[in-house]
Amino acid sequence: MPSEHQIIKAVYAAKTDLQKADDLIRDYIPFIRSEASKCTAKYCTENDDEFSIAMIAFHEAISGYERQRGAFLSYASMLIHSRIIDYRRKESRHQGHISLYSESGDHGRTIMDEVADEQDHFEVSANLEATKQEIEELSAVMADFGVSFSDVAENSPKQKRTLEACASAIQYAAENKLLLEELLKNKKLPMAQLVLGSGVERKTLERHRKYILVMLLIQTNGYEMIRNHVRHVLKRKGGMPV
Amino acid sequence: MKYLVMECHLSYAVVLDEEGRFLKVANLHYEVGQTVTDVIEMQVPQSVAPKKNTKRWIYSIAAIAACLMLVLLAVHQMEPMIYASVYMTINPEIRIDVNRKDAVIGLEGINADGRELIEGYSYKNKDLNLVMDQLVKRAIDMGYLHEGGQISLVLDADREEWIVSHSDALTTHLNEHLKEIMSVTIKVTDKNAKNHRVVIPVAPAENHNGESDYTEEDDYAEESDYIETEMTTRPPVSTASDDSSHSDNNHGDNNSDYGQTDYDDRDDVEDDDRSDNDAISDGESDYNNGHDTKDDDQDDDDSDESEDEEGSDDSDDDDSDDDDSDDD
Repeated sequence: MPSEHQIIKAVYAAKTDLQKADDLIRDYIPFIRSEASKCTAKYCTENDDEFSIAMIAFHEAISGYERQRGAFLSYASMLIHSRIIDYRRKESRHQGHISLYSESGDHGRTIMDEVADEQDHFEVSANLEATKQEIEELSAVMADFGVSFSDVAENSPKQKRTLEACASAIQYAAENKLLLEELLKNKKLPMAQLVLGSGVERKTLERHRKYILVMLLIQTNGYEMIRNHVRHVLKRKGGMPV
Repeated sequence: MKYLVMECHLSYAVVLDEEGRFLKVANLHYEVGQTVTDVIEMQVPQSVAPKKNTKRWIYSIAAIAACLMLVLLAVHQMEPMIYASVYMTINPEIRIDVNRKDAVIGLEGINADGRELIEGYSYKNKDLNLVMDQLVKRAIDMGYLHEGGQISLVLDADREEWIVSHSDALTTHLNEHLKEIMSVTIKVTDKNAKNHRVVIPVAPAENHNGESDYTEEDDYAEESDYIETEMTTRPPVSTASDDSSHSDNNHGDNNSDYGQTDYDDRDDVEDDDRSDNDAISDGESDYNNGHDTKDDDQDDDDSDESEDEEGSDDSDDDDSDDDDSDDD
């Protein structure tokens, strides 16, 4: 079928190109929504969690699709269904609990609004704003290095041992500010020094090059909020807290 | 675990967890900079392993090889199966096991002399005839077999044809072989024939039914003296197939032998009870004949006995008593 052929081509293109993947997903939003609706047995709006899950399932389908798996759309539909079922099973644990965001009474106020009122809204939103700004700056610097967050997410170590090895390298760099300055100046990872200083296998670090780069960038000045978020990485081996 | 949302896309968001991991998660309407607690991680399905079509033929070859091995194994197993046995008795008594092709596959001495005779003798890859020749030669050399001596062969096989074909062949072969050396008597019997000989000692009446036969025989079996005495009267029966002179001569020797076989035979009869009725009647007639030759009085007694049995089945014990007295 020519149309089928076309979508397979599009899927294979989207595997490598994030922009194309976004376009493909946007084109198929009606399909995604209908599949999600089939699963939830009610009309699924774009604000439902199920819809978001269907979206990411579709994305998984794009990255996981292979020609042997048959027609793409039926494969995607299968994935969407199973992901939504997974999600519902997970959520069923919370049955009998009331969401903080559910409406408690009249005026459309939620429980959250009534309970958490003493929290400083201004501080929270200021923090959020600051964090957002930091992330934007970081992503701008990362663009200089030609790296995006999506790349990093794919490059991020998943195994605990690898993660710890990378953390020790990052730790070493955080303790030697000179390395970080050199990185910013030369736009190049001082890999040799990292290997020497941390004693981690060079291969391990090379494999997670982008991840190490971003983590080192976070250790440079100006990213207090993000650094605060990942402070555990540096604390792990009793190293100096930054 | 808290996650810091770093980047939002249409279908997913990139978050940074507290351990420094970047994850792609479902974008549940997050915004950049937000801290979230529960995320739904993206799981990229494992790619399917490409099918290895290249070495498919190896499996078929392996299967064929396995089949071949099985067949070979079966053939190999079949080869050493004991197809028939020849019991050769000079004085040393030995058993020669042969397979389907008359190749000797086992040799065993049954008595001490037999063991001595075959000691150090290798039967490997030898034909039955050759082994017999060589063993007879050995027996002569070791002084077991003399001029005018006797070799008795007992053939034992599952198949009747083998016994029939070999009883003559073996005799002629041995005769040929021994012609120049010395003259000996060669006697061939087969195990089944031997069994025939000892069918049923007591002649039950024709109208006797199977069940009473049973009990009767059991009773007799328990009375050992009966068996012995009965043996003495029986030799004529054994002459059915063999030369009568021999069995007459060796009356005393054979007694014990017969006693044993007799026992076995009883078991046989018990196993296939009624089908042997014919044989039983045969035995009876033989028995009677034997008596005829010996003693007329006994014959009379016999007829009395049969009358008794006709009279009442309950008087079995009496019958056996009668028998005892007869034989005495």
